[in-house]
Amino acid sequence: MAKYLGVIIDEKRMATIKGTPLEEKVESIFGGALRRLVIEVPDDLGQKVIDQFTKARFDARGYIEETPAAFKRAIFKRIAEMKELSPAVVEKVLKEDLEKVKEEAAKEDKELPVPDIDISDVLELQKNPVQKPA
Amino acid sequence: MPEVRIKTLPPPHGGKLVERVVRDPQMARKLMEKCSAVYDIKPTLFKGNPVRNVYREIMSVCYGFFSPVEGSMTKADLESVLEKRRLTSGWVFPYPILFDVSEEDFKKLGVGAGDWLLLRLKGEPFAILEIEEVYEIVPGDVAVRTFGTPEKNPEVVKVPFDQKHTGYNIYCSLNPIILAGKYTIINEPKLRPPFDRFWYPPKRSREEFEKRGWTTVIAHQTRNVPHTGHEALMKNAAYIGDVKPSDGIVVNAIVGAKRIGDFPDEAIVEGHEMVHLAGYIKPERHLVTFTLWDMRYGNPIESLIHAVIRQNMGISFHMFGRDHAALGEYYDIFATQILWSKGIPSFGFEEPPYMVDGGFYIRPQNIEEFWFCPKCKEFAYSANCNHKGIYSRYSGSFIRGLINEGVMPPPEIYRPEVYKVVVKWWQKFGYPFNNEKYLKEREERLEVDLPHMELPAHLKK
Repeated sequence: MAKYLGVIIDEKRMATIKGTPLEEKVESIFGGALRRLVIEVPDDLGQKVIDQFTKARFDARGYIEETPAAFKRAIFKRIAEMKELSPAVVEKVLKEDLEKVKEEAAKEDKELPVPDIDISDVLELQKNPVQKPA
Repeated sequence: MPEVRIKTLPPPHGGKLVERVVRDPQMARKLMEKCSAVYDIKPTLFKGNPVRNVYREIMSVCYGFFSPVEGSMTKADLESVLEKRRLTSGWVFPYPILFDVSEEDFKKLGVGAGDWLLLRLKGEPFAILEIEEVYEIVPGDVAVRTFGTPEKNPEVVKVPFDQKHTGYNIYCSLNPIILAGKYTIINEPKLRPPFDRFWYPPKRSREEFEKRGWTTVIAHQTRNVPHTGHEALMKNAAYIGDVKPSDGIVVNAIVGAKRIGDFPDEAIVEGHEMVHLAGYIKPERHLVTFTLWDMRYGNPIESLIHAVIRQNMGISFHMFGRDHAALGEYYDIFATQILWSKGIPSFGFEEPPYMVDGGFYIRPQNIEEFWFCPKCKEFAYSANCNHKGIYSRYSGSFIRGLINEGVMPPPEIYRPEVYKVVVKWWQKFGYPFNNEKYLKEREERLEVDLPHMELPAHLKK
C-alpha cells in the first residue's frame, strides 16, 4: 500500500512555486482553508522516513505525520528545486539533508516559538468556569 | 408495550461501587500503626523517561473508577485477565493492575503476605497496601499477553508490538516483584488546578447527573484537544438516547504520562471545557471530567477499561470512533468497533462485551468517521457523504504537524477559542506538546498535592 507525505503550502511557499508545473498540483483541503502538495511513496520508503524520527508515524489515512518541521522544510526545498512530486525528492532529502534536519529537529523538540496572538478573550471566559473546583 | 424510557443510571460494574478512601485522620493514624514498612512511590521509567506512575492506578481503584477491582491483582486474577479478560470473579476487566517493586526494594522492605505497607507520595503518607500475596512476573511476557499477537489474535492484531508502542513499554518496564492486595487511601490528595474542577469520581459524577436530572448520558473518550471533527462526533453521537437524545455529554479525559508529541493534559481538559465556555455545546448538557490512568493505547483492550470507568461513572452510552485509543498500526483501525459489534473470540469475547456474562450495561455507539465536506458544507458523517475526492479527513497527527510548523489551524479544523487554549499552555510550558522536559517536570509535580501527615514513630526509623 502506498503512503503519502503532505506538505502545507502557505503564501510564501506558493510564491516559490508560482508559474511552475507544481502550481497545478496544489490541492485544496478543508474547503480551501489549507493547501498542500502530496508525494506518494512506496511503503518501504515511508517506513524509512518513520525510522528516522522518534515521533513520526503513519496516521489512519496512510500519511506520514509528526515528522519534524525541519524535515517538511527540507522536503519543500527539494520539491521546489527538483520541480517534481516523486519519491526521488524524499530519497534526496534522506541522503543529503538528514544530518542537518536532525540537528534542527533536536532544537525543535525543546522549544517552539509561541504564536503571537491575543488570547485575552479565552482568559476572560475562563474567569467564571461553569464547573467549579471540587 | 415495552418501556422505552431510560429512567435510571446503569449500575456500577461488578454491582457495587468501590470507595476505599479514609477521610477521618484518627482512623488514618490507626491504619498506619498497622503498617510494617514505608515505600516511596516511584514512576515507571522506560529509557529514563517516566511512562507510568502507580499512584494514578491507586487513585482510580480507590475512588471507584476501576470497580470492582480493589487493589493490586493476585496471581490468579492476573492470569485470568491475561487469558480471558475477566477477573476470577467473572467480571470483565482488560488490564493487569499491579503494584510492582524491584528485587532490591523488596529485600529492603522485608515485607510479605499479611503485612501492610504504607505508600508515600511526594514525601507524605498516601495509601496503604494490605499485602495478600507476593509473586514474580516476567514483564515482557505480561506485555505481549496484554496486547495480543498477530498469531493469537489474528482478527485484529496486525503486527507484533514493539518499543514504538508506549503501552507495551509500560508493561515491559515493570519491576518483577508484585505485591498483591487491597489499596486504601488514608491521606486524601488535593487535585491541582486546572484538574481540580474536572475531578468527578464515580460517586460524585453520579450525584452530579442526578442533580442535573440526567438519566441518559453518553461518554466521549479523549486524549486530545478537540478539533471540529471531535465536536461533530460528540454532538451527533449524542442523538442516541431513548425518546429523545442523550441528556448529557460527558467528556472523560485520560490524564497521565502520555507519549511525547501528545498535547499536555492541561490543554486537553481546558480545550474541551472551552467547547462549552465558548457556547458550542450548552454547558447544561456538557461535563468535562478526567480519570487518572497512564494510557496503554490498547485500542480494543483500552475500550474495555473505558467501559469500566464510564459505566462506573453512571454513563449509559459510549461513542467509539475510528482508531479508538490507538497508536500506530498494531491493530485494525476498526478493532474497537469489531469488538463492540460482534466480539473478538481470541480475546475472550464470542459476543460483544455488553452481551457476555460479567459484561457491561453501557452500550456502544460505533461511529465510522466525520470529515469536512465543502459540498455538504458540514462536518459530514462518512456513511452519508458521497463526495469522494473533495472531502478532507481529520487526523490528529496532521493537526499537530500544522501546529509544529507554526501554521494556525483554520476554524474549519479548530475553534479559535480552543486553539487559544493550546497557546495558553504553550506560553506556560514553552512547547505545545509533551516533550521530555514537560514529562519529567510533570512527573515531579503530578496532578495532586498531599496534605502533611505525621508518620507513626515506628515508621520514622
